[in-house]
Amino acid sequence: MRAILVLVACLLLGGVQAEEFSFDASAFEKKPFEFGGYLELKAERADLNRDGSLYKLNGLDRDTLNRNTATAKLNAKFTQGIASLNLKYSASVQRDELASLHDNHFDEAYLSLKPDPGFTLDTGKIAMKWGKGYAWNPVGFIERPKDPNDVELTREGYTMVAADFIRNFDGDLKTVAFTPVLLPVSNHYNNDFGAPDHTNVAAKLYLLYKDTDIDFVWFNGGSRTTRFGIDFSKNLTSNFEIHGEWARIRDFEQRRIDAAGNVKSVTRDVTSALIGLRYLTQNDTTWIAELYRNGTGYTEPQLADFLQLAESGNPLLVNKAKQISPAYARPNAGRDYLYLKVSQKEPFDIVYFTPSLTWMVNLADKSWSLTPELLYTGITNLDLRLRATWLHGKSYSEFGEKQNRRKLELMARFYF
Amino acid sequence: MMKKLLAALFFLCASSAYALDGQEILKQVDRNLEPESSESLRKLINVEPDGRKKEFVLYSVRKGRDQVVGLFLAPESDKGRATLRQGDNMWLYIPEVGKPMRITSMQSVTGGVFNNADILRIDYTAEYNVEALAEDGDRHLLTLKAKTGEVAYDKLKMWVDKKALLPVAIECYAASGMLIKTLHFKDIKEFGAGLKRPATIETDSPLYKGYKSVMIYGQIKKREFPDEVFTLNYLPRVGELRK
Repeated sequence: MRAILVLVACLLLGGVQAEEFSFDASAFEKKPFEFGGYLELKAERADLNRDGSLYKLNGLDRDTLNRNTATAKLNAKFTQGIASLNLKYSASVQRDELASLHDNHFDEAYLSLKPDPGFTLDTGKIAMKWGKGYAWNPVGFIERPKDPNDVELTREGYTMVAADFIRNFDGDLKTVAFTPVLLPVSNHYNNDFGAPDHTNVAAKLYLLYKDTDIDFVWFNGGSRTTRFGIDFSKNLTSNFEIHGEWARIRDFEQRRIDAAGNVKSVTRDVTSALIGLRYLTQNDTTWIAELYRNGTGYTEPQLADFLQLAESGNPLLVNKAKQISPAYARPNAGRDYLYLKVSQKEPFDIVYFTPSLTWMVNLADKSWSLTPELLYTGITNLDLRLRATWLHGKSYSEFGEKQNRRKLELMARFYF
Repeated sequence: MMKKLLAALFFLCASSAYALDGQEILKQVDRNLEPESSESLRKLINVEPDGRKKEFVLYSVRKGRDQVVGLFLAPESDKGRATLRQGDNMWLYIPEVGKPMRITSMQSVTGGVFNNADILRIDYTAEYNVEALAEDGDRHLLTLKAKTGEVAYDKLKMWVDKKALLPVAIECYAASGMLIKTLHFKDIKEFGAGLKRPATIETDSPLYKGYKSVMIYGQIKKREFPDEVFTLNYLPRVGELRK
């Protein structure tokens, strides 16, 4: 009996012990070399849109397309005194029934010097991201375009020299930060940015004024035309944020194709703008809404002209449409968009589970894409995401003529 | 009439004296929990009803009454994420996104019962006024009222150990009067330089039945920081502060 009592006591004590939490802080001492990253596996199944102009333009002859993608992102950082070397490497293999592609490159590779907390000098390949928009960034003058369907996707940077000066103050104006950038373009550096043999200059002036983030941005150089803009972000209440961007692009050259297949270039000053909000309800539902005016985009008739040519069946016209398709078939090539994302944090008391629904509408032709998503991050260092997309629209509308009608995607991302 | 006026005056004076005492106690609580300028290393543990745990390690620095920066060191999926709080303003920097986004105090960067206001806590005196002070055995009972609508909790009930002037438990209430969560302060430890405070904070919530979140302090050190550290542009480089 005594032995049983001792055993029970030990078990109970063990239970208490199991409830104890411990933390060995020495295991987290700073190391000069840090390494990490993730491995991502993605399986996609697309139901193709046989009636779609882009389906015909791409010369497809099938109902579905299954694609598997494996991506490795490796991050390394070596720190010595005021200097640090930052490397972000990306390697991916993509296979579907039509092709097999592989790619590897550095997203970022730069040397950073920080002689003072208020000053930093970075040299190398840097992914500079400007703007406050969630789905689009009209003031992102020196970055590769964001994919509104996957806003957190890592993007490759450009080779540049960038400095950062920060000063803090007391009063309404709390922070001023100035970020000048030199971005050279040649046949060896940044050759996809614009016209070669130019050293472009860009700058961002950030202010935290009366609890509002404000950025003034500017770009000038021979590789792209002069552009400038402003953005802002402010919390109106503890659960309600508003943000906006405005950009003016001087002498923007737009190549257009008409219904007869004639291509012409139109040069004019254009304005892009965005206004958005993020609202958190008492039930932990987050609403993100954005209205986007794409000054560099095409009007509904201009898009329709291209889409009609693409499926005209006339080899000459189809070939012309193919040549100009990078401009027309890029994501969100239209003028006016609405973006709405609703996500619910941890419904039914399932922690780390976030279902969401994203709706993107081309306001001119009323075509849209709808993306429900289930995200689970409850297993340490593993993200699981299931996502479906439906595209809908009338004839010769942006989303109605896409290559896909529906898509289902399963993604697993393992961090190490 | 005169008697009534004098009585009213007496009560007003008494209550303001209480408030002043309470405010003084709250100031002491703030300083006994953390020096004005310091760095710390914490582990946050979310415990699910079935006993499963998810752990986060957070390095944070603070300056003054209302400036805090945090950097996640673990798990790998969150490593490099950094948060900044300047008073009512909060931002989150995710390396993949590459730029800071504004967040709110009621959201949670870690999930679980702790929200951003708990994780990036600033001085209680920066956010709350003492509404009432009462005695509860060997503890003070402070009733705190949020100064603005921006604060995560409208009201707090804080039990403070009279000798140590450290919190023992805090109940957090919404404006509707609903209890959102209770924080339990445990395991008083010496952190060096005369700082002695609870190393463990456990929280439970009627909104998360069966769930529990725990915060364990491994290190708290006095350290001075320049103001520039508490800015958006510095967020991607918070790791450089670690020695």
